[in-house]
Amino acid sequence: MWLPIQINEQSAEPLYFQIEVQLRALIVSGQLSEGTLLPSIRELAQMLKCSVITVRRVYQDLESEGLLRTRQGTGTYVARVEQREMDRHRLEAVIEAIEGAVAAGKLVQCSKEELADLFREALDKHYGV
Amino acid sequence: MSEEAAIRLSHVEQSRPHFQLGPITLEIPKGYVTAIVGPNGSGKSSTFRLLLELSKPDKGEITILGHRLGDGDDTKLKQRIGYLPELFGVHDKSMRGSYKTAFNRRWYPDWDLNRYRELLRVFEVDDSIRLGSMSKGTRRKYELALALAHHPELLLLDEPSSGLDPLAWRTMLDVLHRFMDSGDRTILMASHIVEEVKRLADYIVFMGHGRVLGVYEKDELFSNWHAFYIHSERFTRKDAEAIPGQCVIEETGGGTIRVVTKEAFAAEQWLEKEEVRLAGRQSLNLDDILAVLIEQERLRVRS
Repeated sequence: MWLPIQINEQSAEPLYFQIEVQLRALIVSGQLSEGTLLPSIRELAQMLKCSVITVRRVYQDLESEGLLRTRQGTGTYVARVEQREMDRHRLEAVIEAIEGAVAAGKLVQCSKEELADLFREALDKHYGV
Repeated sequence: MSEEAAIRLSHVEQSRPHFQLGPITLEIPKGYVTAIVGPNGSGKSSTFRLLLELSKPDKGEITILGHRLGDGDDTKLKQRIGYLPELFGVHDKSMRGSYKTAFNRRWYPDWDLNRYRELLRVFEVDDSIRLGSMSKGTRRKYELALALAHHPELLLLDEPSSGLDPLAWRTMLDVLHRFMDSGDRTILMASHIVEEVKRLADYIVFMGHGRVLGVYEKDELFSNWHAFYIHSERFTRKDAEAIPGQCVIEETGGGTIRVVTKEAFAAEQWLEKEEVRLAGRQSLNLDDILAVLIEQERLRVRS
């Protein structure tokens, strides 16, 4: 199974963290539904060109958050996610993305006002004025 | 590494007139792919020869899959290992592949003919050809099929992709990933092909001048080692020395300083705190990192 996870090698964010954020988003957004069998650790590592140590860490973290469960011998599945959990996680991913956008703006020395304008423009573009 | 070790070398030394290997103390964890990376003459092949008992250490001890080398009969141990050498001898070049296979399989009780056939099919190798008439790549694929057909627990690969075309290379990576999928097998490979190490390895062992320069978890290594470009009139070479984890500082012209750090995260925070603006950053390649480690070892030996 292919997962839409993108890795940014230039980022200072550790690899496991990048993968964790995206996999969590896929689960809480419902793109991966309850009971979906995820790739084996070695398979996902191969897909993302990272080590099994990183993938194991991601699976373990998400399992302890209750988003995944592992059945001995059969593999790792998407667990049942409560609606309340989903709402909380849902925003987490969005906040993360906005923070990323602000960081990108700061890198090219945007002022606060400039960024606010850009954000408003993007809102208008997608939601209508 | 707290994991169970597939291979353990402790204080291993071998002195030769032109080369001193070790002392090496090293553990290769079970269930993972470990790549030994180093320039020519760094001791990679000598280490492999020791593991295969093609030569003996002057000092120290080697344990493979729980069996100490030199302790009695090791036929059983050898049956659990698969080996792909870097170069092949010329003694068998007039022999057909199938003939060599028939000879080899007698040593392995777990030899699996179906597995062997399947591998030849995947690799598109015809084993009725004489070994000497096979192209370099075909010969390697044949030898890899031979090394895998008895379901070894430990696979030793010396420069596995040497001579393979890009498509055969991808097939090989796929076969090796599948081999590892069961979770309890181990690969130790020597390589200087950067892409191969990136795609396969979980752990990286750097070697140089006959010594181990460092053992790293691959993803951690690449996220920790970065180069920062700083362009500022106020920030000098001297200031850069205080950057956490810095190991190389160079002026790249135009008033820009390039700093290599092995603690990218700490360095970034430090720079932020000092209000030094980054002009750019770059993750480092395996060969960049190797070059820095070799240079540090050279300075250490000299001092």
